[in-house]
Amino acid sequence: MATNSYDQLLADLGATFRPQREWVEGRGLYLITGHFLSGIGAGAWFFSLLFHYRPGLLLAFLAAGLGGVAHLLFLGRPERFWRMLKIRRSWISRGFVGISLFLPFSFLYLLPLFIPGIPWSSEEALSRAFLLLSVLGMLIIFVYKGNVYAASRGIPFWNSPLLPVLYIVYALRGGVALILLSLPFTGNSLNSEGAAIIELWIAVSAAVMILFYLGVMANTNVAARRSVTDLARGRVSGSFYLGTVGIGLVVPILLGAIGYLSPLSQLILAAIGFFSLVGDFFAKYTIAKAGIYMPLLPVERG
Amino acid sequence: MRYGMVIDLRKCVGCYGCQLSCKAEHGTPPGVLFARVQKQEMGTYPSVRLIFLPLLCFHCQEPPCVDVCPTGASHQREGGIVDIDADLCVGCRACMMACPYGARYYNDDHRGYFPGQGYTPYEALHYQKHTAGVVMKCNFCLHRIKEGLDPACVSNCPSRARTFGDLEDPESEVSRLIRERGGAPLHPELGTRPSVYYLPP
Repeated sequence: MATNSYDQLLADLGATFRPQREWVEGRGLYLITGHFLSGIGAGAWFFSLLFHYRPGLLLAFLAAGLGGVAHLLFLGRPERFWRMLKIRRSWISRGFVGISLFLPFSFLYLLPLFIPGIPWSSEEALSRAFLLLSVLGMLIIFVYKGNVYAASRGIPFWNSPLLPVLYIVYALRGGVALILLSLPFTGNSLNSEGAAIIELWIAVSAAVMILFYLGVMANTNVAARRSVTDLARGRVSGSFYLGTVGIGLVVPILLGAIGYLSPLSQLILAAIGFFSLVGDFFAKYTIAKAGIYMPLLPVERG
Repeated sequence: MRYGMVIDLRKCVGCYGCQLSCKAEHGTPPGVLFARVQKQEMGTYPSVRLIFLPLLCFHCQEPPCVDVCPTGASHQREGGIVDIDADLCVGCRACMMACPYGARYYNDDHRGYFPGQGYTPYEALHYQKHTAGVVMKCNFCLHRIKEGLDPACVSNCPSRARTFGDLEDPESEVSRLIRERGGAPLHPELGTRPSVYYLPP
């Protein structure tokens, strides 16, 4: 009778600390993927504009587009997605508005850059308007993800104004990482050393931010403390240490530090980008996985 | 008018009658429990006690689930009842993350209680009313309220531990019980202003 997920739910409901599973298991992985891809898409758009790196603009558009698809795949009723296209107090609908601004207008901005014969040039006012709207969408994408989690009052570990800041840092870092990863394939004369320094700086910032976040959340309430314990030495610790800390922070920082001793090859830069992206995904995964509902009954000490 | 419920923890015997009567009334699929009883052992032998807490949607006056809904599917009806419009819900489950009381459930499919054996006639009848891929929750048995009846969990509680009524009417039974017995909502510090109160055991 019944199924594994049903038995799991009953076990969860009876537990003192009920883990959230909807946003991280099964189709929940699409949501994590969607947040990951849309974040690096926004970050790559930002830095590609900064570095005047055309391939990065294209990659940013593709990443954000795939992120949008992943978001839709997560929904229980994706055919009703258009109902979210209304500015409300919900950060999900704000994020949907952001993606809906970014995708079409970044596409229109990209067209004359890659396809000759388009009726408008990239220097025209029309193109600048497309760029402006795409940047507006990009800014919304930067801020919405962390706020979606932070608005979840049932999960104390996420319910913090620090989380959106952490997600913005990771989105910026993911953007640089995507650009670095693309370098060996595009052969572009981008200032790769500059990008590597930015990547290193953001990686160190992300490490500091994560430690700061965990430190703060460990002292808020019993559920958030339990989430931190799960990350540090519990059910999520394997993914956290291996993916978020090891692959995502330690390896890129060490590789980046080599750059201070000798110039980095494009291959090493790409490796830094790759490991950073893997770490970015794991950061989102482990933060979501560590989410625990607030206990309703008193919790015994010890 | 503000509908509310009072649950007397002195009278509640933890029989799961509310949970089962709710299941019977709504015919909800597996994994969806509009009403449930949470039990927990506390202490260590020989000083052990079993505590239990009947739970349902608290129909908060400041519902965090409504604020996070991207489509307006989660909304507050007249009388303060927090409800979900299944035709508007996209199944993003943000409301489940926002509800501090874990009162919402995702109906991912109509898998039924006996997988591989099809639906019982009872399931087949009731599942027609429930949309798959959306979030579901207690609505204080709105269809019964409209007929002048109490919610099913109230009517079927064998120890009469539950009382339903108007919280804004100072003369109502629920208001009297809260006043005289010191009723309090669960986790009032969250500021959600629930419409379900508990009387101390």
